[in-house]
Amino acid sequence: MNAAEWHAACDRRLAELGVDPREARRLADDSAAEALASGLHPAELFGPATAYATSLASAARQPLAAPLARARGPVVLRLAGVTKRYRRREVLRGVDLVLRGGEVAAVVGANGSGKSTLLGVCAGSVKASGGTVERAARIGYAPQQHGVAPYLTPDEHFRLFGAVHGMGARKAVATGTRLAAGLGWRPRDTVAGKLSGGTQQKLNVVLGELDRPDLILLDEPYQGFDQDSYLDLWAQVYAWRDAGAGVLVVTHLLHDLDKVDHVLELQGSEDR
Amino acid sequence: MRKQWLHGFLDLSLLCLLAERRDYGLGLGQRLAEAGFGDIPGGTLYPSLLRLEKQGLVQTDWETSTVGPRRKYFDLTPDGRAAAAARAAEWREFRAAVDRVAALAEETA
Repeated sequence: MNAAEWHAACDRRLAELGVDPREARRLADDSAAEALASGLHPAELFGPATAYATSLASAARQPLAAPLARARGPVVLRLAGVTKRYRRREVLRGVDLVLRGGEVAAVVGANGSGKSTLLGVCAGSVKASGGTVERAARIGYAPQQHGVAPYLTPDEHFRLFGAVHGMGARKAVATGTRLAAGLGWRPRDTVAGKLSGGTQQKLNVVLGELDRPDLILLDEPYQGFDQDSYLDLWAQVYAWRDAGAGVLVVTHLLHDLDKVDHVLELQGSEDR
Repeated sequence: MRKQWLHGFLDLSLLCLLAERRDYGLGLGQRLAEAGFGDIPGGTLYPSLLRLEKQGLVQTDWETSTVGPRRKYFDLTPDGRAAAAARAAEWREFRAAVDRVAALAEETA
């Protein structure tokens, strides 16, 4: 790969990662000038083009556009004594939680402890066997599976989900594209079924945020994410929180928990 | 291990070097090597500098040279100067704590 090819590969990767084209151009020009000044081949100075572009894109990523102010503090989710049984198997037993806008709750527990079931109960897609669930009217939900339609492109998803929220097609696509860039992803004209698992999950997350909901429910969003995207996602979770949304995240990475407001540990199912 | 440590402390080290004097990328790389960090790959160094720039701690300008190609110089902003001092103080506190526990391992060895 000659120097020009190296720079072209770097530039392409920056664009793929959702870096603004003008910013990408500036970064590429800087890199070229720096390599010229050093008298080294860019690969010698910076390493492989795609890896370098990935580091640059991560360093250059701006915080998302200032979020709209939202009412801060009202309860967006209240669980009281929520239970869920499948036949004799008790999946959830007496779960209580009060989540306010501007707070993050992490749901932890072993595989099979009912984390996804609880999220479904919060979203209203799973009916609780007992207890009460109150939640804000506008919610965003990024489930672990089945969140995307395999034969629609990302833009078609944005228009479809935007329409549900009464958003115009153009605004829905613009908002979706901006949110995707915040996760280091530039959606292209590919149907969702052909996207990698990590990218599908990014699409899920974007769809969950499209309407600036008061309550955001995320299920294991890191699955398939690379490390940088994973960190970006947590930055995003805190950005939503700071904007006043209540965020419920299913996770099992313990190091995330020192910054969250509530930790809900599920004990797992029991046969009775 | 050293590599992981460096990742954690490169930003601090760059702020401190720039507090001493403004410099261009390769110059910073050389000064890091002289300080005992070994060779820092450009693929690590430049993204760090970019991150500091985005955080408003570092500003850059291009300088043309009569003898060589133009060079990009990095310098601290006022915020960067304050951050360098604050982080250096934090680092000294942290280092003292690690030194105290490291001494325990040496005593028993």
